[in-house]
Amino acid sequence: MELKPILEVGDLHFSYKKTPVLKGIDFTLYKGEVVSLLGPNGCGKSTLMRLMLKLLDSKRRIKLHGAFLESYSHKEVASHIAYIPQYHNVPFNYSVLEMVLMGRISKLGFFGMPTQTDRDKAHEALEKAGISELAKRPFGQLSGGQKQLVLLARALAQEVNLFFMDEPVNGLDYGNQIRLLQLIDTLAKEGYTFLKTTHYPDHALLVSSRVAVMNGGTIIADGAPDEVIRSSMIEEVYGIQADIITHGNYPRCVPVFKRP
Amino acid sequence: MMHAYKQRTLLIGATLLLVATALFMLLWGQYPIDMATFGAYLQMKFTGAQTLDQATFSLIDNIIIEIRLPRVLLAILIGAALAISGAVFQAMFVNPLVSPGILGVLAGASFGAACGMLVSENWLVVQGMAFAFGFIAVGFAVLVGSMVSSSRSSVMLVLGGVISGSLFTSLLSVVKYVADPYSTLPAIVYWLMGSLSMAQLNEVLTVAVPIVLSILGMLFMSKYFDLLSLGDEEAKALGVNVKRIRIIAIVLATLASSLAVVMAGIIGWVGLIIPHIIRMAVGPSHRLLLPLSALFGGAFLLLADAVSRLALSVEIPIGILTSLIGIPIFIIVLKNARAAWN
Repeated sequence: MELKPILEVGDLHFSYKKTPVLKGIDFTLYKGEVVSLLGPNGCGKSTLMRLMLKLLDSKRRIKLHGAFLESYSHKEVASHIAYIPQYHNVPFNYSVLEMVLMGRISKLGFFGMPTQTDRDKAHEALEKAGISELAKRPFGQLSGGQKQLVLLARALAQEVNLFFMDEPVNGLDYGNQIRLLQLIDTLAKEGYTFLKTTHYPDHALLVSSRVAVMNGGTIIADGAPDEVIRSSMIEEVYGIQADIITHGNYPRCVPVFKRP
Repeated sequence: MMHAYKQRTLLIGATLLLVATALFMLLWGQYPIDMATFGAYLQMKFTGAQTLDQATFSLIDNIIIEIRLPRVLLAILIGAALAISGAVFQAMFVNPLVSPGILGVLAGASFGAACGMLVSENWLVVQGMAFAFGFIAVGFAVLVGSMVSSSRSSVMLVLGGVISGSLFTSLLSVVKYVADPYSTLPAIVYWLMGSLSMAQLNEVLTVAVPIVLSILGMLFMSKYFDLLSLGDEEAKALGVNVKRIRIIAIVLATLASSLAVVMAGIIGWVGLIIPHIIRMAVGPSHRLLLPLSALFGGAFLLLADAVSRLALSVEIPIGILTSLIGIPIFIIVLKNARAAWN
């Protein structure tokens, strides 16, 4: 496969006030990849993602399609990258269709209003996410898993090929976690590129073409999932022991539970 | 979400309701005019046909053009301006309890008007100062808000608004304290109660231009307000220039509400309850909420003005009335309105 870089991060440093969070990140995201960013709480995963989305100032250290992020407006970034946050509550009770239609905002002019085409695209996105039947339901009344799917549908309605997901399975029940991972896997096979942060090495093994591990503000490992996720790395990063086993031809990560 | 045709029907229905209310208010009053006479009057006014005798025509012309039309237009403009500004601020601050005064515009304009009355007998000076201080108060709120952290900017803005509002309320008290207790003080107090009785047609038509433009501006921006209520970061990631939208919205809403104060003093509650009721009825999507708030805000203030003129033999200040009508309505709808936001 010819590797075409979409996002390039070079020697990126970032501090909140005077607390350094990122200490020299080098990272490239290629077209068609599914990259999992792994690392303990506070390692800088989410900060890195926010920098790549131009939500924080990266000071000319990040290039999107060869041009510095600073040269893009928010609208232009949104026409390349769709951001899927962790599901959350919305203060006003919009319907699911209205939420998904918000993904179309970067396609509209300043005075433009969503047209029938936008509504059709929103319905297509809902169908792709497998939640067409929820279109008229109020977003606030959905379960966590359904909300996460609505946010994914909103990203699909954005009609971009690059998805950023911030801890997508957080707060979802066991079944919904696996179903969401399967949906990501399906979309990846269709050619979408993913960058997702995760707390689960096992999920990174299941659905990634590459894994980057962050710790203490730097990327300490970056490569194929089965090469990066090893017992030694888990112990170093998380301070626990885990076995990497093979199950159904795929490597899985199983933590060792010590009984007293 | 409603179908497009259903939305259109609602908007057309609300517009017709507003027009019907306005027409009723033109005809109804101490001197009632029946439809036939009104029709004859219009015919004579616009075609010159002698459908009425000259004395009747002059009387009706005087009543409608000099007295009722300016008041009707002003009530619609102010009701619409306050209701849509309230809805916009509620979206921007992601808080349904916010009203147009959140950034201190009402306190600032009140102080400005009181100062104007203190220093000048000229009504233009009073209005000019009310308008200027409305903007100064909001500017001060924005300045205070941006001096503190920029990460939770909307919370800091509200805090800035609280500080600015308190400051100008205190300054207003100073003005009241030093004002002549026999002439200026009663004028200030009466003005603060709100009234549409000062309305004159040419003046109303003059302020109508900026008020209508700012209302149209807010309507055109309605799609962004849905996104702002998701929070700044998510709105930016979806492609919204949050800072620019917020500045434009603050300027437009401040322009509309400070002009409302300039023309009619302090009229409370419209900006709070109307968006609530509309949101409860049609949902939170601002593409529908904003135009309907404007239309119903106008109709509400028309009716409130009718009550203020006709309930008692003396005119009740409309600002008192909107509170007295607004509070029970708010208590009744609050329980249901709760369902429209989480």
